[in-house]
Formats: sequence, structure tokens, C-alpha cells
Amino acid sequence: MRSYLVTRIWQSAVTLVGVSILVFVILRVVPGDPAKMLLPEGAPQSAVDELNRHLGLREPLWVQYGIFLRSVVRGDFGQSFQYRSPALRVVVERVPATIQLALTAMALTVLVGVSIGIVAAVRQGSAYDYAGTVLAVLGQSLPNFWLGIMLMLLFGVTLRWLPTSGFHGWQSLVLPSVTLAAFPTALVARLTRSSLLEILGQEYIRTGRAKGLGEPRVVLRHALKNATIPLLTVLGLQIGTLLGGAVITESIFAWPGMGKLVVDAIFFRDFPVVQTILILSATIFVVINLFVDLLYTVIDPRIRYG
Amino acid sequence: MEKPRLSRRRFLLGSGAVLGVAAGPRAARAQARRGHIIAGLSERMLTLDPANHYSISSTSVLRHVYDPLLDVTNDDKFVPALAESWKPVNNTTWRFTLRKGVRFHDGTPFTADSVLFTLKRVRDNTKLIKSFVYQDLEDVRKDDDYTVTVTTKRPFGSLPAHLTMLGMLPPGAAGNEDAFFGKPVGTGPFRFVSWTHGDHVDLEANAKYWKPALPKVEKLTVRFIPELSTRAAALRAAEIHVIDRVWPDMVSTLRATPGIKVLDTPAVEAQRWHFQLAREAGKDPRIRKAVSLAIDRNTIIKELLLGYARPVVSPIPPGLIGHTNLGQKPYDPDKARAILKQAGYQTLTLDFVLMKDLYPKQLEIAQAVAAMLSEVGIKVSIRNLEIATAREQRTAGNYDLFFSGWAHMPHDPDWYFGQWFTRAGAEKLTRFSDPRVEQLIAEGRVPDPKVRQQKYEEIEKILWEEEPEIWPYYSVAIYAISDKLRNFEARRDYYVLLHEVGIA
Repeated sequence: MRSYLVTRIWQSAVTLVGVSILVFVILRVVPGDPAKMLLPEGAPQSAVDELNRHLGLREPLWVQYGIFLRSVVRGDFGQSFQYRSPALRVVVERVPATIQLALTAMALTVLVGVSIGIVAAVRQGSAYDYAGTVLAVLGQSLPNFWLGIMLMLLFGVTLRWLPTSGFHGWQSLVLPSVTLAAFPTALVARLTRSSLLEILGQEYIRTGRAKGLGEPRVVLRHALKNATIPLLTVLGLQIGTLLGGAVITESIFAWPGMGKLVVDAIFFRDFPVVQTILILSATIFVVINLFVDLLYTVIDPRIRYG
Repeated sequence: MEKPRLSRRRFLLGSGAVLGVAAGPRAARAQARRGHIIAGLSERMLTLDPANHYSISSTSVLRHVYDPLLDVTNDDKFVPALAESWKPVNNTTWRFTLRKGVRFHDGTPFTADSVLFTLKRVRDNTKLIKSFVYQDLEDVRKDDDYTVTVTTKRPFGSLPAHLTMLGMLPPGAAGNEDAFFGKPVGTGPFRFVSWTHGDHVDLEANAKYWKPALPKVEKLTVRFIPELSTRAAALRAAEIHVIDRVWPDMVSTLRATPGIKVLDTPAVEAQRWHFQLAREAGKDPRIRKAVSLAIDRNTIIKELLLGYARPVVSPIPPGLIGHTNLGQKPYDPDKARAILKQAGYQTLTLDFVLMKDLYPKQLEIAQAVAAMLSEVGIKVSIRNLEIATAREQRTAGNYDLFFSGWAHMPHDPDWYFGQWFTRAGAEKLTRFSDPRVEQLIAEGRVPDPKVRQQKYEEIEKILWEEEPEIWPYYSVAIYAISDKLRNFEARRDYYVLLHEVGIA
């Protein structure tokens, strides 16, 4: 286990350095001049050149990367071109909004998705099952932007129960998290249903019933625990995606999260912000995956590493 | 007879009146000031430093915190703000007389030192986005505490216009700018309270503002909502009171909502699609002429922009110095065909580059133009590129026609001419070069408005004749507001200014 852990951590470090090189090079290879994006359209070329010099973009690529790597080790991700303040600060300011939205959406996904999946599996072929399937299909097929705008018009404009947009108080969290959770909830519901159905047909479930265990105990304790492995994999990936930002949902609800920040930063060629977000996201992804792999051993004692 | 009783309410009213008289006009002013306006702007604010951006949203927000030396009215008049008066001493010298008795929000007085600090900072710190505009400043001299003389390396007639966009800073900001811009102080009608990045800015009334009875409200919040449909929904849900950058096709929905008014005004912006003048199509004046004749501008205005644009009669929109009416460009596809035939062009393809999602209805308009040009035998290939890529393509010269607009931002055309119609300015843009025009632009930089008008008219006549650009329409700025707002002015420079606005 220990050697496995060391190997995995080593691999993670190599992955992150690889990501940093890739991000760094790709950003500078794609067409587009950061100084031109910062200056108004009619700024003279001399101003563009001068600003690029200040931004450190006139150095050779490998020198720029060297400076970048040295700074990152010290926790300095450079100055955001657009915001004119440290990129890390710009990104960290968006973390609370991003985490709130991601965690709420995740909680909804697990609660609603798993519940629908269980009911649909246990009552296979019933009206509940069909209703669950319809909901799952809708959740997976309705585009985010459409659902978001419809929810906003209904609950914000017409009924005025909830704020249409913005980031203030739990009320403003409801519509974006429901919009964001729609797709993963459907995914989780379908996955729970199918893996639970498979397990409910197993011999040991029949044995459990035969020895007189109550149905809730059979389903929740014996079946669901075994059905959790594929679910965990999917949820792990979903958390990574949600934390990385939900661009469309954030745009619709004017939510100051990281998704919109990164897209704007890419469009404006704000290299330091893009680099910071991508490297942080990659780190989160790598750590969560490592964590999920280790969690398998807790959930299923038969899985052993090393 | 029953003795009249002094009720609690009457007593409070009476004592309030006594206190009001005792406290004088300031208390009366504070009483008049009430309410909280929430605005929803289309663009997120990036910085609190007035010298470090050219964003319209940031200008709108920061105008409430900082005062410039001059203001510009909606009918393009330059009026006193922190400068009580200004005049050119000669072609390269300006003298500003400053307003006395003005204080920054932290109590320090506004004097010539503030002007010296602000102007020297923007000139010398070339990291600042506005720095390039002020490179022509030779010296900024303090004659006394309330008089400043600015000398320039060459005539700088548009200096007062540019100064409308530069908020004055206290000299105490020197040396600790990071801390200062974390919680900035200006002399403006509102004090800065807080900024939740990407979401909103909170401001509160400056009770000691030098303009009497302003601002009209106690609090001002500016929310940043880039999506128009979201901005409109927030207004319709009565969460906010004003939104900017409404697109023509959203107007009818907003008008139909009770409690909402839609206001529009001709903007200081002209759409101008420029030719790459070093490529085959752009180089030949006959092709430029034919393209111009083949475009039905009125149909674009009426059908695609639903009337929210104005026909162009010269490159400079009405109201600005230099504007002159040269008559609308005709729509005559037959003549266009004849010109092309005479010039010997059988097949011609134009590369029309767009900066994605930048202007209302731009893709539909470009497609309509492609259809119009195909009628006269010109094939148009539309390339709708992400903004940075499109600009890179323009620098490299890989386009024939480029979809763009120009907001004459400090309400002055000098910047437009200097950038797009001088050899140095246009070198990596349109490749325009005409010594006559260049000479006139240099002559038009003097402070004398009569000379400027005359020179600009001459320039415009040349451009109108040669058509290095297609000027399809003047833009219209559309706003939607809650009918609770009082005295809101739809600005033609797209600013949302609220210090003179009240709320019911």
C-alpha cells in the first residue's frame, strides 16, 4: 500500500508538470496578442509592444517558462493581465462561489439521483420506474442554457420566488444548482438503477431475503453498497468537472465562478489566470482521483493495492 | 371644550422640524437623499484604477467615485468638473483653473498637487492602459495651488476630451497604490464601500459632495450581468433598476413588461467595416465603390436592426466636432455591376472577418451583406472568428473587409483619425496611407475648434470619396429602466451615470 501510494504521488507530480508545460505552450502558440486585447482597438503598435514588454512576453518561451515555474514554486502565479492583480488572488476570490455551487449541485445529484435510482430499481416496471426514466432522459437531454433560462423566467420573473441571478444568499443558489445538477442527477439515477438491478439479481441477495432480512436492509445495506463502486467513479469525475467550473450555468445566472473566469481569460489571452485555473483544476482532479481510488479499498475490502 | 392633546406623532413632527431648521441645509439635503439604486451592467469591472482601463462599465462605475477635471454632456459639450475653467495659452499649452473647497473622501483637499500626480503618473507609468494617450505631455506645472499649466510635445486639441475619462487621484496614493486601490478615495459623488469581484460593487453617497443636492440616493449598487437575457430578467423581476446594452430584438419584450421603460439615443459610435487596402480588392477604388453601392444600408437598419440605427452621412457621427452632412451613400446595384464589369472583374471573392459576438446582430448583418454582394457578382466568405484571433488576422493582413465599429469615446474624432488614417497608426490594421489626410490630421490637432472643424470636414470629404471603409450606420444606444427612476439620461457614450438620478 505504501509503495503504491508513493508511486501514485510521484505519477501525480509528473502529470502536473506535464499539464503546466502543455498549458504554457498551447496558450502561447494560439494566435492572439494579450496586449492588443488589453488596449483599446485604436492603440498604436508602440503601445502594444511596450505593454507586451511589461507583461514579460518578449522573452523566449523557455525563459518565460523558467520564470513561471520558479514563481509557482514560491506560490506566485504571476499578475493577471486583465485584472492587474495577482492571478492566484483573482482565482481564489472565485473559489467560494465555485465551491458553493459545485457542492450544492453535488449534494442534489447524490440525494435525488440515488433516490430515484433506488426507487426505480426496487419497483422495476412500475409507474415510479417509468417516471424516473422519463426524468432521467429529460435531465440528460435538456440543454443547460434552456433549462436555466426557463427556471429563471418561471421562478424569478413570473413567480418572483427566487432571485434571477447573482451571488447573494442561499436563495440565489437554488436555480443555478438545480440547473447544474440536472445532467449528473439523471446520470446517477440511471447508473444507480442499472447497477442495483444487476446486484438485486445476485445469489447473495436471494440468500439475504431467504434468511429473513427486511427489504430495506437488503437493498440499502447489501445491494446498494455493492452498487456504489461504479457510482463513486462517476461522482469523482463529476466533482472534478463541477469544481472546474460550469461555464454555461455561471453565464446564465451571472454567477462569479471559475468557469466563466477561465473562458473570459482564454478569450482575453490572460495567460496567468488561465494557467492558474488549469493547474489548480488539474491538481484537484489528480487528488480526487487518488482519493477515490483509495476509497475503493474502504468500500470494498476485496480491493487491495500494492 | 376639550383641550387639544399633543399626540406623539405631532410632537415628533414638530421636534423634527425644529431640529431640521437648527441643522441647516446639509440636513435638508440629506433628507432629500433617499433610496438605493441597483444597476445591471453588461461588462464586468476589472480594476478600480481610473488610469488602467478603457472599459465602458468601469468608466461608468468609477465616474461615481472619482471626478475628472472636465465632464462631457450628452450633447457633447465639455463642462467644468474639478476644473472650473481651462483655456489654450497657445497650440501646445493648456491652463486649468481648479475648483476650490473640494475634498477627497478621506478629507484631504483637492489641489494642483492631485492634478500633477494624476497626470504625471499616467504619462510615466507605461504599464497603465491609458498611458499611451498621454505620451504627448511634455510638462505638468503647478502655477499655484489652484492653477495648473500643461505643455505638450505637439498640439493636443483633444486633451480636454481625454481628461473627461481620467479620474483625479489624491497624491497620497503615491508609493502605496496596491493598498490605495484596495479601498480607493476620490472626490466623486459616492464613496467606495466594497467590490465582490465578478458580481457587484457597493457605493454609498458622499454627503459632502461639492455639487449641491447630489447625489440623490443613499446607496448605489452596480451588478455585473454580462448575459443580456439575464440582465433583462433581473430588471423584469424588479431586482434592478436599469440595464444597458439592450439589443433591438429585446426591446418589444421589455416594453411589454409593466413598470419598465425603454430609452434609446443615437450613440457616439459609427459602424465602419474597413478594407485591407494592400490586398487586391481593397487596393482598387472601383471595387470599394462597387461594394459600397451594392449594400442596401436602409434595409439593414430597418429589417435587421429594427430601426435601432441611423443612416450615415459622414464618418463622424452628428454632435461631435468635425461632423458634416455629406449625404447618404446611394444603393445602386446596377451601377455596382457596371463598375465591376468595366473594371474587368468576372469573379471576385471577399474575405469578410468578424469578431465573434461583439456587435448586435453582426452575423445576420454580414450574411445579408453577403447576399447583397452576391447580387452584383461578388462572393463573400464570412469568417466569424474569436476576437483575439480576428485581430491577429487583421495584423497579418489576412482579410478584405473587417466588421468593426468605432465609439468616438472621448467625444472627439482625433483618436479615430490618428489611429486609422495615419501611416504609422494604420500600418498593421488597414494599411491606409495618404499624405494629404495625414497632413490635415496633424493640422487638426490644434486647440482652435474652428480650425479643427474645417480640417476634419476636409478629411471627411476625402474619405467619403475614396471609401477606404464602408460606413453602414450610426449605432443607437438602448437602455431599459424601472419607471421608479427619476431623471435618468440615456447616454450616447454608453455610460450609466446615476448621481443625478433619484428613485421613487
